[in-house]
Amino acid sequence: MIGEGTVARVLDTRKSRFLLGGLVLGHLVIISQQVEVGSGNRLLDQTVFAFLSPFQRLVGGAVAGVSGTWRGYVDLRRVHAESQALQERVRVLEMQLQEEQEQVREAERLREIAGVRPLLPLDTLVARVIATDGLPWFRNITIDRGELDGVALNAPVISAHGVVGRVMAVGPQAARVQILLDKSSGVGVRIERSRITGVVTGKAGYGDAAGGDLDLMYVPALADVVVGDVVVTSGLDRIHPRGLMVGRVRSVKSEGGLFKEILVAPSARFERLEEVMVVRRRPEDHRFTRALRPEPSPKPR
Amino acid sequence: MTFLWTAAALVAALLLQTVLSLVFPGYARLFDPFLLVLVYCGLTGGASRAMLAGAAAGWVQDVHFGGPVLGLSGLTKVLVGFGVGAGSTRFHLAEPGARVLVLVLATVMDALIFNWLAAVFDVSAYALSPAGLLVRAVTNAGVGILVFETIDRRLRPPARRDL
Repeated sequence: MIGEGTVARVLDTRKSRFLLGGLVLGHLVIISQQVEVGSGNRLLDQTVFAFLSPFQRLVGGAVAGVSGTWRGYVDLRRVHAESQALQERVRVLEMQLQEEQEQVREAERLREIAGVRPLLPLDTLVARVIATDGLPWFRNITIDRGELDGVALNAPVISAHGVVGRVMAVGPQAARVQILLDKSSGVGVRIERSRITGVVTGKAGYGDAAGGDLDLMYVPALADVVVGDVVVTSGLDRIHPRGLMVGRVRSVKSEGGLFKEILVAPSARFERLEEVMVVRRRPEDHRFTRALRPEPSPKPR
Repeated sequence: MTFLWTAAALVAALLLQTVLSLVFPGYARLFDPFLLVLVYCGLTGGASRAMLAGAAAGWVQDVHFGGPVLGLSGLTKVLVGFGVGAGSTRFHLAEPGARVLVLVLATVMDALIFNWLAAVFDVSAYALSPAGLLVRAVTNAGVGILVFETIDRRLRPPARRDL
C-alpha cells in the first residue's frame, strides 16, 4: 500500500511539482505549436544551433587531425619489437606513407566531386561532415556550412554518388541535414527506365551503421519495375532537382495489395560520407518549377 | 557553481557525442552521454535539478541530433529526470549496484517515453528493437557507473562527518 505520506515524499517539495508541471506544459505548448505550423526555420532552433555549432566545428576539425595521427600510431605498433634504429626508420616511412595515402584518398574524393560539379546544372557548395546521427530515432548529419555560405532551409544535399538528403536546420556556420535513411524523409523519385513515379523513405534498422535500404512507396502493383532498375529524383517533391541518382532497386514484391513492396539500395555511401555538396538554389535554378510552368504559346505572326 | 558544472557537463556530452559519431559512425547512437548527466544530477541533486538538467540536455539533443519537431527529447528527459530525482529521494541509491539499475531503468524509460511522445505527436521516428534497447542500456550503465564513481572519488569533496 502506498500511503499519502509516501507520495508526498516522492514529490519531495512543492517546488518540484510546480517545476514538473511548468516544464511539461511548456514543452507541450512548444511541440504543439510546431506540429500545427509545420516545418520552418525557427528562431529558438537557430539561436541554440548558432551558439553550440562552433563547438562541433572545432571538434570536427580536431578529430580529422587526430584520426590520421592515430592510424599512424596503430600501424607503427607492429614494428615495436624491432631495433630502435629500424623502428625509427619504419616510423618515418609509415607516417609518410599514411600522409600520402590520406592525400591520395582526399584527392580522389575531391576529384570525384570536382568531376561531378561541372556536369550538374546547379550552383553547388562543397561542405564537410562534422557530425553524424547521435540519436537512435533519427538519421541526420551536420555539415560545416551554414547561412553565411548561402545554405538555405530545405536545400538539397548530394554527393558524387547520389542524393544525400535535405537541409532541415541552418545556423550561421553549420547546418543539420536529414539524410534519406531517416524515417520521416521523403523524396519524389522516378524509375528511369519505365518512368514510374513514387516516393522513397528511410528503412534503416537500429543496428545499421547508416547502411540501410530505402522503401519505394506508392508504386502500383501492375507497374513495370524490375530488380536493378535505376531510381532518380522526379523533381515533383519541389525540393530536389530532377534526374539525380538515388539508388537501384534491390527487391520487388507484389503480394496482392494496391502497391508493390520495393526496396532500393541507396547509391550515396552514407557510411563513408565525408564531403557533400549543398545545392544553393537561386530563383532561376528551380528547374522543376520551370518544368511545371506551362510553355508560353507562340505569338501569332 | 552547480549550474556551471552542469552546463560544462552538457557541453562535454555534446562534444563527446560528436567525436563518437565521427570515429564510430552509426554506432554513436548506442550511447547517450546526455542521459548520464541528468541521471547524475537526479542522484545527487534531487528532482528539480534533474528536471532542469534533463530539459537542457534534451533541447541540446533536439537541436543538434533531433528530428523535425523540437522538444520531444526535452520533454522526455524532463520526465526521466523527475523519475530519477523522485527515486533518489525515496530510496538509497548511492551504491554502484543501485546506480546501475537506475541507469538501465532511465535508458528504458527514455526510449519508451520518446517513442510514445513521437506517436502522440505523429512524428516519424525509428523504434528501438529489444536487442537495441538492451545494448543501449548496458552501454549507458557500464560507462555511467565508471564516470559516476570516478567523479565521486576524485572530483567531489568527501562529505563532512560530525563526530
